[in-house]
Amino acid sequence: MSSFFTLLLLTFIFSSNAMAHPEYLQYFKKESGRAINCAMCHTNPEGPEGVNPGQIGSLDPEAKKLLALAREAKTGDNIKNPILNDFGNEILNAIGHENLVELEKDPGAIPGLLSKTSDLDHDGIPDYQELLDGTDPLNPNDGLPWKLFIHNFITNWFQIMMITLATISGVFGLYYTILWFSIRTKKEFK
Amino acid sequence: MGDKNKGLKRLIEFMHDRIPMHKFNFENLVLKKEVPIHRMSWAYYLGGLTLFFFLVQVVTGIFLLFYYQPTVSDAHASIEYITKYVNNGFFIRNLHTWASSCLILCLMAHALTAFAMKAFAPPREIIWVGGALMLVIGFAFGFTGYLLPWHQIAVNATKVALQSLDESGHYLPGFISGIPHYIKEIIQGGPDVGQATLSRFFALHVVILPLLCFGILGLHLLSVQLHGMSQGVDDLPKKSEKFFPFFILKDLIVWGVAFLGVFILAVGIPFESFYAFPFFQAYNALGATPEGIKPEWYFYFAYYPLEIFPFWLVMLGMSVMGVLLFMTPWVFKKTSRRALTILALIMTAYLVVMTFFGQAIYEIVKGVKG
Repeated sequence: MSSFFTLLLLTFIFSSNAMAHPEYLQYFKKESGRAINCAMCHTNPEGPEGVNPGQIGSLDPEAKKLLALAREAKTGDNIKNPILNDFGNEILNAIGHENLVELEKDPGAIPGLLSKTSDLDHDGIPDYQELLDGTDPLNPNDGLPWKLFIHNFITNWFQIMMITLATISGVFGLYYTILWFSIRTKKEFK
Repeated sequence: MGDKNKGLKRLIEFMHDRIPMHKFNFENLVLKKEVPIHRMSWAYYLGGLTLFFFLVQVVTGIFLLFYYQPTVSDAHASIEYITKYVNNGFFIRNLHTWASSCLILCLMAHALTAFAMKAFAPPREIIWVGGALMLVIGFAFGFTGYLLPWHQIAVNATKVALQSLDESGHYLPGFISGIPHYIKEIIQGGPDVGQATLSRFFALHVVILPLLCFGILGLHLLSVQLHGMSQGVDDLPKKSEKFFPFFILKDLIVWGVAFLGVFILAVGIPFESFYAFPFFQAYNALGATPEGIKPEWYFYFAYYPLEIFPFWLVMLGMSVMGVLLFMTPWVFKKTSRRALTILALIMTAYLVVMTFFGQAIYEIVKGVKG
């Protein structure tokens, strides 16, 4: 019974402050004009605080140690924060925890501090650009449509070329079939 | 007794004129069938194109059916499995999504051009009513298919739509005011959108609607074949071409080009990329609803007015439009093709404006930034 009330209390406390750093979210939401949530960097889409999977309240002692280490992360480290996803960890390790907290005042500087070539989901759009665009850097099917089209067109050029050739051949064949019928019917009418 | 026989006789005559089965022979359907050639001839290809996209939906839908799990616990995971791990799964799913939009686009264009060409004039009333039913079924396919991936936008948009249906009952008089609530309960299958709803939508999407569609499509195509193509313009067309083989081969060329187009779109642009990623996370009943939940683009013509104007006004407008859609052959029986073309252009302009600029109009009217 007591554990139930503890859980209820924790839920109440954490639900009132689910987002640890809303400044980042608000900034990139405004810049990109797209709906964004904590899932861009966090394991849990509702943010780090709470008792659900991927949130601080759900961490076991081992994961809590990793979280403590992550809070000490310096630029260039390779730490895996259990409440962050791969992109969140990329930001953490590229910038360092202390610098990252300071950037709450200037979230717009974050993309400039990230690698220009890293592309975690291999969709052809670098992670820093996806952050600016407000698209998911871990989902190859999420990106600005035109950018994805260019990348996918280049990647699948052979298939597209083959289907284009097949269509041209088909259209060519059908056109001449019509022509043949046309000549035949005219002969018949004569 | 005499009146009864007279009524029955009139009904038989009516059906005989609308479905002239005596024309169902090789000579009429193949040897004699002609397609008029005039400035609106391009519109004759829209019906075939709609059929083509429907066939793409059937084939890709069957492939998706092999892997899709219609349960609230597994639906989203099975979609992710199809997208990430099944050979060409992403392509098949994306093709299904793109083709569904193309299908509804063609359905709307086909309806508008058929209206402008007065293709509903007697004895083609059944063709028109069948087509109108297909349009409604097309929207129903879109609506039911939208829920199946069980992600945030799917469940929340369905909730909003069902809630709107429920609320429409408040504007109806007397005992019929309870009908929308009753329909909502049947569709929803439980107190909230959940497993019962998903099962119903799945059954509708993969069994009931396709069966209805095949039946009505069969009647629609049969009637078109028996009556031939409509004249389409006021002056009797001076030129025409044989349906078989000329028109049918040209139809195949259009299908080939359409397939190339939809193939490139399906390979190149994930349909989901038009929406923000939080919408496509698995639905979480306890989680926050992402901002900006919207229906698919083909419902914008009704969605944005609902956001801008009073609910009763939009419902009234939509009800009138719904009745007009099915009563077109009788309401516009004496209207000239010129007037019908102007009406069709106005409707097209409305659909285009609401689809492309609905959000901007909403922001201006409500003074909010989306």
